[in-house]
Amino acid sequence: MSEMSALRSLEKVLGSKELLYTLLLLSVILPILHPLGIPVEISKRTLDVYEYVDKKLPPGCHVYIEVYYEVAARGELEPNLIALTKHLFDKGCKIVYGSLSAFGVVAFSLFKTMAADLFEDKVYGRDYVYLGYIAGSEAATASLARSIRGTISVDNYGNRLEDLPLMREVDKATDFDLVIIVSSGTDVFAYYVRQWHTPYGVPLLFAALSVIGPSIEPFVGAGQAIGMLVGQRSAAEYEVLVGRLGLGIASMDAQSTSHMLIVAFIAIGNAIYWSKRVSSQRGGSK
Amino acid sequence: MITWEVFGAWLSAAMVVWIYSFAYRDNALYKLAEHMFVGTAAGYSIALALDSLNRVVVAPAVRSPETFWAASWHYVIPVVLGVLMFAKYSRKYYWLARYAVAVNIAVGSGLALRTAPIANIVRQVTATILPLWGSDPVKVLNNWILVLVTLGGLTYFLFTIFPRRVEGARPSPAYWVYRSLYYIGIYGMMVGFGALFANTIMTRVGFLISIYLIYIQPEAWASIVAAVLAAVAIILGILRKR
Repeated sequence: MSEMSALRSLEKVLGSKELLYTLLLLSVILPILHPLGIPVEISKRTLDVYEYVDKKLPPGCHVYIEVYYEVAARGELEPNLIALTKHLFDKGCKIVYGSLSAFGVVAFSLFKTMAADLFEDKVYGRDYVYLGYIAGSEAATASLARSIRGTISVDNYGNRLEDLPLMREVDKATDFDLVIIVSSGTDVFAYYVRQWHTPYGVPLLFAALSVIGPSIEPFVGAGQAIGMLVGQRSAAEYEVLVGRLGLGIASMDAQSTSHMLIVAFIAIGNAIYWSKRVSSQRGGSK
Repeated sequence: MITWEVFGAWLSAAMVVWIYSFAYRDNALYKLAEHMFVGTAAGYSIALALDSLNRVVVAPAVRSPETFWAASWHYVIPVVLGVLMFAKYSRKYYWLARYAVAVNIAVGSGLALRTAPIANIVRQVTATILPLWGSDPVKVLNNWILVLVTLGGLTYFLFTIFPRRVEGARPSPAYWVYRSLYYIGIYGMMVGFGALFANTIMTRVGFLISIYLIYIQPEAWASIVAAVLAAVAIILGILRKR
């Protein structure tokens, strides 16, 4: 019985959520202050996306990027957006950004602040445009696919779209070589699949939160998107590929240590559970 | 010197700690941060929606009425429908709001149904029709797993007609096929849910990491304030539990 009581005390100590949260906090903070430099391998999925952008998109291509995430999701999605923007700008591509979410405006503003170096030699209106918040969810997505200028007449800053050189080059879905959806919600991916890819055949690329990855995987599997970047891990890999290390790669040590901690706790919890079970069976047979 | 930016950074660092303090126990600071967040988010959404309306309709209509009425007169229709939504607050005219809701739902359904059968059903079904024999064993195995788990998942949700076992009689082959697919479906879904849960942890930890990456900087005072507040929240949580 002493074996059983020892296991119960151990379970009580390890089962305390204060201990788990404190250890989790330390496992996140310490690698940030003292990076461990755990190597990051490039997955085939990220490499496929990189090679598509690098080889299949012509120089000077036109890309539409949907910025659809709130500030809380910045850590997972912003590094992806920055790395993709760098890659596209390096290829001389022109980018039209838009947001079907009101919070996309804040997300875009923070993204521009964090990636100020990418926009230094770019001219607003010629190399990139931000359309701002466009109300209307799926109806707006369908309308944008038919005509951007027919849907909205001004950009986020009140400039008339007709006055912006880039917006005279592109107007409808088929004018774009690639559409990238950077989203923290699941629905918006389906909007673009239904309203841009299915009727017009525009290639889509997804950048999603890790938690959303499995939900949108069927679209990628069915060939409705050319690929997807999922969470900080993909961002870290893409940062390595484009040679601009940022938040994605910086978070990888903390991701690894915190996951190791969680796996250790799951293993210990299972070990205690089975030990208690074996111990109680022994006690019962006596 | 404390500028508005520094004050904002301090406030947001403090709010992060207050929100995370809920992990230990519900408390007044958590509630304050929660209410501030909800209030700010609601106010911000309304402001942006009004700004969007102003940018797209009001300002162009006032600035250049001729161009607006010639090219964008149809923008007035959604504005009128939007205004009708407010009829809900009148007992006499609340029925007018139904027109706005009806148009909204009809347009949404029409647009979605136009392509949903192909995008969400046909393409997904054709994506599971895969070769089950070939020279690449890994690909063949993947295809088998995909096909079997898809069929298993569908079989699990058969609630109407399915082969039953008759008491005393030998089970039919159809029954064994059904039971096999049923269990493949269960285990396939369990693996799927497991992957989803693992990804959920990754996302949540990712949020925590990104917040700390922004605020835990050795030279930033905000990080010291946040660390002190975190320590206080933890100590208070432990003391109160005792």
